[in-house]
Amino acid sequence: MSVEAFNVTSDDPTRRAPLVLGDHDFESITDTVCGVVEKPKPPVAWYIAFTISSLFALLFFVLLAYLFGVGIGVWGVQNPVGWGFAIVNFVFWVGIGHAGTLISAILFLFRQKWRTGINRAAEAMTIFAVICALIFPAIHIGRWWMPYYMIPYPNQMGMWPNFRSPLLWDVFAVGTYFTVSLVFWYMGMIPDLASLRDRAQTRTRQVIYGILAVGWRGSQRHWHRYERAYLLLAALATPLVLSVHSVVSMDFAVSILPGWHTTIFPPYFVAGAIFSGFAMVATLLIPARQWFGLKDFITLRHLENMAKIILATGSIVGYAYSVEFFMAWYSGSAIEQFTFLNRSLGPYMWAYWIMVFCNVVVPQAFWIKRIRCNVWLMWCLCILVNVGMWFERFVIVVSSLANDFLPSSWDYYTPTFVDLGMLAGSFGIFFSLFLLFCRYLPMIAIAEVKRTMPQADPHYHSAAIGVED
Amino acid sequence: MNIKPGTEKNGQGRNYWRSLEHVQDNGDPREFISENPSELPEGFSRRGMLKLMAASVSLAGLTACRRPVETIVPYVIPPEQVLPGVPRYYATTMPLGLSAYGLIVESHEGRPIKIEGNPRHPSTLGASSAMIQAAILGLYDPDRSQSVLHDGEEKTWADFVEAWQSLEQTHLEDQGAGLALLSESFSSPTLARLKSAFLLRFPRARWVTYEPASAENVFDGLELAAGQAYQPAYRFGRANIILSLDADFLLSDTENVAHARGFAEGRSIQSGNDSMNRLYVAESAFSLTGANADHRLRIQSGRIGGLLVAVAAELERLGLDITIPGMATRDSGLPDVDPKWIQAVAGDLLANRGEGIIVAGDRQAPAVHAAVFALNKALGNVDSTITYHDLKDASISRRKELIDLVAAMEGGAVSTLIVLGGNPVYNAPIDLRFAEHLSKLNTIIRLGPYMDETAGLAHWHVPETHFLEAWGDARAVGGTASVIQPLILPLFGAHSAVEMLGVLTGGGDLPGYDHVRATWKETLGQGDFEKRWRRVLHDGLLQGSELPPVDPALRPSALSDAVMALQEPAGAGARDAAEAKGSLEIVFHRSPAVFDGRFANNGWLQELPDAITKITWDNVAVMSPKTAREQGLRNEDVARLRYRDRVVELPVWVVPGHADGTVSVTLGYGRRSAGRVGNDVGVDLYAIRTAEAPGFDNGLSLEPTGKTYPLAGTQDHGSMEGRPIVREASLEHYKEHPDFAQHAEAHFGPGEKLFKDPVNWGEGNQWGMTIDLSTCTGCNACMVACQSENNVPIVGKAQVEEGREMHWIRVDRYFTSPASEEGTESAHGSEGSLIRDPIPEEPQMVFQPLPCQHCETAPCEQVCPTAATLHDREGLNVMVYNRCIGTRYCLNNCPYKVRRFNYFNLTKHLPEVMKLAQNPDVTVRSRGVMEKCTFCLQRINAGKKKAKREGRQVRDADVQPACQQTCPVGAIRFGNINDPASLVTQNKQNERNYDLLGEINTRPRVSYLAKVRNPHPDLAGA
Repeated sequence: MSVEAFNVTSDDPTRRAPLVLGDHDFESITDTVCGVVEKPKPPVAWYIAFTISSLFALLFFVLLAYLFGVGIGVWGVQNPVGWGFAIVNFVFWVGIGHAGTLISAILFLFRQKWRTGINRAAEAMTIFAVICALIFPAIHIGRWWMPYYMIPYPNQMGMWPNFRSPLLWDVFAVGTYFTVSLVFWYMGMIPDLASLRDRAQTRTRQVIYGILAVGWRGSQRHWHRYERAYLLLAALATPLVLSVHSVVSMDFAVSILPGWHTTIFPPYFVAGAIFSGFAMVATLLIPARQWFGLKDFITLRHLENMAKIILATGSIVGYAYSVEFFMAWYSGSAIEQFTFLNRSLGPYMWAYWIMVFCNVVVPQAFWIKRIRCNVWLMWCLCILVNVGMWFERFVIVVSSLANDFLPSSWDYYTPTFVDLGMLAGSFGIFFSLFLLFCRYLPMIAIAEVKRTMPQADPHYHSAAIGVED
Repeated sequence: MNIKPGTEKNGQGRNYWRSLEHVQDNGDPREFISENPSELPEGFSRRGMLKLMAASVSLAGLTACRRPVETIVPYVIPPEQVLPGVPRYYATTMPLGLSAYGLIVESHEGRPIKIEGNPRHPSTLGASSAMIQAAILGLYDPDRSQSVLHDGEEKTWADFVEAWQSLEQTHLEDQGAGLALLSESFSSPTLARLKSAFLLRFPRARWVTYEPASAENVFDGLELAAGQAYQPAYRFGRANIILSLDADFLLSDTENVAHARGFAEGRSIQSGNDSMNRLYVAESAFSLTGANADHRLRIQSGRIGGLLVAVAAELERLGLDITIPGMATRDSGLPDVDPKWIQAVAGDLLANRGEGIIVAGDRQAPAVHAAVFALNKALGNVDSTITYHDLKDASISRRKELIDLVAAMEGGAVSTLIVLGGNPVYNAPIDLRFAEHLSKLNTIIRLGPYMDETAGLAHWHVPETHFLEAWGDARAVGGTASVIQPLILPLFGAHSAVEMLGVLTGGGDLPGYDHVRATWKETLGQGDFEKRWRRVLHDGLLQGSELPPVDPALRPSALSDAVMALQEPAGAGARDAAEAKGSLEIVFHRSPAVFDGRFANNGWLQELPDAITKITWDNVAVMSPKTAREQGLRNEDVARLRYRDRVVELPVWVVPGHADGTVSVTLGYGRRSAGRVGNDVGVDLYAIRTAEAPGFDNGLSLEPTGKTYPLAGTQDHGSMEGRPIVREASLEHYKEHPDFAQHAEAHFGPGEKLFKDPVNWGEGNQWGMTIDLSTCTGCNACMVACQSENNVPIVGKAQVEEGREMHWIRVDRYFTSPASEEGTESAHGSEGSLIRDPIPEEPQMVFQPLPCQHCETAPCEQVCPTAATLHDREGLNVMVYNRCIGTRYCLNNCPYKVRRFNYFNLTKHLPEVMKLAQNPDVTVRSRGVMEKCTFCLQRINAGKKKAKREGRQVRDADVQPACQQTCPVGAIRFGNINDPASLVTQNKQNERNYDLLGEINTRPRVSYLAKVRNPHPDLAGA
């Protein structure tokens, strides 16, 4: 079957294109995906991208040393804005992670087969985003050498941490999330790692992939256990998609601060997280499928589906913005009303309107199919969504703190070069890790993709080609 | 070889303490060195070389010596009554110009760490001011001068004494004709005695007294009116009506503590039926006194005289017999002052004869003071609310003496000048060109605490002691005599003015103690001297030494001419009217923080926000919104001030309520050699201040420079945004609606508690505080007191700009406008934003001190992940520094934003000497932890211990937080809210009592008593 034979993005359920395009059989899929890893040299673009991102990662660690040496004061945080870029970045990165888990777990349970093309990369993105996210709360504390005080460990002081504090809930929520995501990602990769091991040409590769493949032989029993475990982990990870960002949002919602103290935050944050996560997946995969020749597996249809999710979640986010205003008015609290007017018309109005434009206006373009199907335009819009979602957190964190109850303590928060450098540096870390992942691990879930092919369904249970069951 | 006994720069040395005695016992190594210079002469022996090396090594240990070795005695036999950890308290006195503040100083193991007012002393009454509180830091200032210098070379005190003794021979021959002594003003029996002795010894010598900011005009005015200078003492507590004309008696005046106390006595009310005094203020700049006024008239300083004439005319019209011919018949020439205002003032003054005060500011012309005296006299206020006293033992500042001295210096008539304290090179009138003329002198001897501008030009510089280091004495306003008792040996080997004068008068090199005792033997009598002397030291003053009030007679004839001149639009400094036209008025202010510049190196005072502008670390050109608009200037623009052909550039700050057409500037900044803290902070305004017009003058022009200069303020936003933060009513309204303070907030009712109370709040000691906004003047004394008590660090201008100041208690300042007036323009920093706070033309100002509110349902506690902040059993919200990891979540969740975070390690690089100023009872915080007001937990514990020892419950008097103790007006009350007898419980039952942000259910333990003003019924709404 050739690509031309189908309208890849047909909306007619009876005329849907298969999920894997091109004349692929099982072997050619393995060859293509493993080929990316086995090629002696990656494409030039990889080198350029990796150089830039690793330099930013380096910048992050240089600034980190400065921060550790001198103190939190090298940032722009102050009275009354006690949290600045660090927490903004934390929430942003945790949010990014959500798309990966949603794709791998929820879509798995919902039997959305199109997830197989993108789930591995999206999960990897989750891991790396959560790594970036975890760095910030650990380093943003005044005494960075003792974050372990937040962990309930037996100690001679007989002290428990304060279980009433949402920050403590964060520790558990994000910690659990990271652990489950990592296990889920790694476990799902074991059959593919075994393929890499079996195909390895050098001793080093054999040893490393051999260790990583933990003795996978592909026996029936292995597959049976594997699929059970995968299903269980998916079931475990699914509530996490909802819980993690809900808990993160409680850092704000549980506080007393106008602009933070709103019950809408948990659903609003989760929607925003999925919104930004899908935008980030698209941002990563659009160039990746180009560079590594994976267009047959990550097809336009995959991208279009993601655009639709972005449109849906973006609209939820926009709705949440308007509900916040309604609630402020409805509350009858003058301070609450002031906070929201101040947010949109006060000293941080520039940030607010960037946020509204990127998060509410931009995704509306995805109503138009032509835009959904224009890969590079979509890429640009997804980047805008990422920008908007970062600003959403900035607006929530900073503008609420800067102008709170007593006007006497109001002040204007300005980030320092360290703040900006560490934000850029966290992107450096994220992209460096993702590029290393592309180079050394199977970017596509080989085994899972194969299951969606017609060849995997020899008895033609499906009535039409490519229809999901 | 560099021998610097005072410096600590060479870190080595401490290991050598034990060998020191050997070194010194074996003869003075310095002599050895001078005999054996290190440049080896020819034929220097190997043995000699080794001896030299050995001496060098021994001397290396001397580099860190601060104290003479004989005082380093281990407590083998402990000094009597000294218990480590138990502070001792001594009475002493802080002299400042003609004022003297009686103090009680807390000393821990021999180091004074905290200053309190002496309740017995009339100038402090147990309270104090920011400036007094900060004096403790001045003691431990490592930048203080540390050795005698002769032409830049280090010498000893003995060298100086020797040099003087040879120098004085020439002056003794011609009876001191070429000798001049320039001192600061003082009021001290010993110094006065030594001054007479000096003038007896050198009859032709000049003794010049100069203060850049003094009450000279007041004395001149009294001389004009009564033929002799007297010192006025105001009894504000007895006054029902106060008219303040350009006087900031609540803050800038040196008697501010006693004045504020008196003012508050007439103002504090328990219910709407109590009577309150009424304060009218006419002034150019918004002063703290103006902020506390019931009616404030903004008027240029130059037109105060005219206003006074108008008031006098009105008084005369109402039937007062004013004894100055012609005064009341003159046309006041004030078309734009509301006649109702003048009628109200005059009516009130007349209705309260003998119970009113008219007070004019130091900068006003002598004629104004003369007229004020005449009016007070006519109203029967003299000897009732104002008493006059002889200026006994005082040396008052005379500008004319300084002008004469400079003329003499110029003419070569002076060969030796002794500068006894003061810093004339920095603060002498610029047109005298004092520094230039100094170069004509043969010898300049300077006694001063710092290597400052003047010391840099002196031949001999002798370090001067801090008042906590040396013996002395002083007379307070009103005459109360007290002894300045040192609490510590001079840290840097300095000498006092008393000791210096002892040498200068030929009395030999005696300790100050002997000089002071010699004076007091005359006062106390020989008979029972030791006993009475000890009594004086114990009490901190000599009982019954206040001078009897005199009733100066008015000389109407001499007065009338002078008073005629009052209508001149520009008062004392009036220049040609044509020239003055179209120009602005410049008014020079003394700083309420760094005073005349002498406290410029005191970080606490530099970082203390100005009471009105809330700006730290800078002085600014203050003007009204209208003037700024006309001049095309905005906040933080740098303006070029051109005045009498001299130019300075100064950042602009706009204060609504400032008089139009006037620019107010503050003296005392722009120091070039103040020390590490004070150098180049702000702009030196002495650079344009002349001898002719030291107070105010016309002829200023402003030009924008196009530059901007960032200012570090602690409060950016001055409007309450309609929120019920400071609640206020007029006395009338209060009478009708006693519960007005309860109706300001949105009614959500007392909310439920999410968590159970950790203990029953109804049991045991439960600490609470009330702050009376009616009496609080906003003077900032509590801020520095807290800083001193609780080791609160300073952070510097850059960090204040970032919003990282550390004050545990802050004083919020809000502008309010009378309901009738609409705003005119948008405020600074919020252009194009929602936050349009209308700036009224005639705003009022309110203050609100804000310590940690110790909420019962503290939002900070709930969110701390490590449980580092929590409640104790007595209702205190406490910080466990060890447990705090610095998430700053508590700061975010604190609705009052009273928590302070250590963004850096602020105490690590503190010079060793300054560490001595720290209170050993309070933990010094390190980097990365949160801190905040503890209600002075250490004092609570001390009070509880005391009560327990005496087997009783804690009473109010047992525990006073530092802010309460220092508050001059007693606005802060602290105590056990479970004790029905405590003042705080009674205050909390007052109908004016309200919780700040009570509607969010924080249940704060600090509550406020709503402010009440007492406007004149005819002027209501204005």
